[in-house]
Amino acid sequence: MSADASDLSLVRRVQRGDKGAFDALVLKYQHKLVKLVMRYVRNPAEAEDIAQEAFIKAYRALPQFRGDSAFYTWLYRIAINTAKNAVVSRDRSPVEYDLDRNNEDSYDMQGRMKDSETPEGLVLTDEIRSTVNAAIDALPEDLRTAIVLRELEGLSYEEIAAAMACPVGTVRSRIFRAREAIDRRLREVFEGGLGRAEELG
Amino acid sequence: MNEELDSQLSAMFDDELAPGECELLARRLSRDEQLKARWGRYAVVGAAIRSERGVRLNAPLAGLVSAVILAEPALAAAHGARRTGVRWWQPVAAAAVAAGVAAVSVLWLRAQAPLAGAPLSAHLTTPTATVPSAAVVPAAAAGVPDSYVVPRAPAVRAMAVPSIELANYVVAHSVFSSPVTRRNLLSAFMTGESGTAAEEPRDDAQGNVQ
Repeated sequence: MSADASDLSLVRRVQRGDKGAFDALVLKYQHKLVKLVMRYVRNPAEAEDIAQEAFIKAYRALPQFRGDSAFYTWLYRIAINTAKNAVVSRDRSPVEYDLDRNNEDSYDMQGRMKDSETPEGLVLTDEIRSTVNAAIDALPEDLRTAIVLRELEGLSYEEIAAAMACPVGTVRSRIFRAREAIDRRLREVFEGGLGRAEELG
Repeated sequence: MNEELDSQLSAMFDDELAPGECELLARRLSRDEQLKARWGRYAVVGAAIRSERGVRLNAPLAGLVSAVILAEPALAAAHGARRTGVRWWQPVAAAAVAAGVAAVSVLWLRAQAPLAGAPLSAHLTTPTATVPSAAVVPAAAAGVPDSYVVPRAPAVRAMAVPSIELANYVVAHSVFSSPVTRRNLLSAFMTGESGTAAEEPRDDAQGNVQ
């Protein structure tokens, strides 16, 4: 089993002109990338903007990606450089004083904030986290151990199999079943939850 | 949803699926929005377990990136266009090579061609001198001055074959040369050909060479 085969298969599809495959790469790495960029900028909205820019840069540079390194390693470097450049250009740019703070329409702080920063966004994030934690707690021991070792510790299936003294196929099945159980719980809670968030907004 | 497919998706998410299966599933994943949504939720589950900040279902980042990319040309097309731009010199190089080969061929054939006058007749008479043909004998027997009867066909063939081959070569490779180069080459070739023909001694009706 070659590491990064799944990313590489998606990358090759993008290189052949399949834009839909790039969506899958963005969905997979968006959280990691925002977390990474947050080391350079404190503002979550700015971190999301930088992550977005990094993804677009990566897409445009993808014809040059030959697969010598893992896709995420390559994306990671692009994101770091984008974040550093953003910090430098932000420090150089003058502070904007031209906002008419008396005019409520032109100074809409709520509009300037990303969803993740708004109170509703933060509540939603907390709800997701607590739902996932509750779903994990409700899992059978073997499923819980497998998913935690995978997601929290980042162990490979082989390492988890060695740790749990079971075949790799069993590990794969346990992780899948754990994800399905958590996903089911998330959908139960949030299928009406997104509408509820809109009500809050 | 097929459970086996979802199990494969989970393994692919962890980079634990065989490359061959990855290829097939990547194809499906890029087109199947339901599968893509599940894939996105697997990422959310992982991020939530790791307590990452700003974790949301249906986060707008992916949608924003997708909207920007949708407005751009597909990579294969853009890359192909760039490659076409780099290759502009290739027809020129091919034409230069074809013209060079043709020029060398012309020079080589000229070097091989006999000089005007004596050498040509010597060349043509040599075979008949050593091996008298049937036509020589009655002429000698009739008491006419010595003459050498040169068969027409071999003489024509000796000059025509390289010309035809060369002409064929030039025509066959003409697609690689510019019209001006091709015309110059052919006119040079034709001039050389007609010059050779002019230098060639004329035969009389019997093919006697004086």
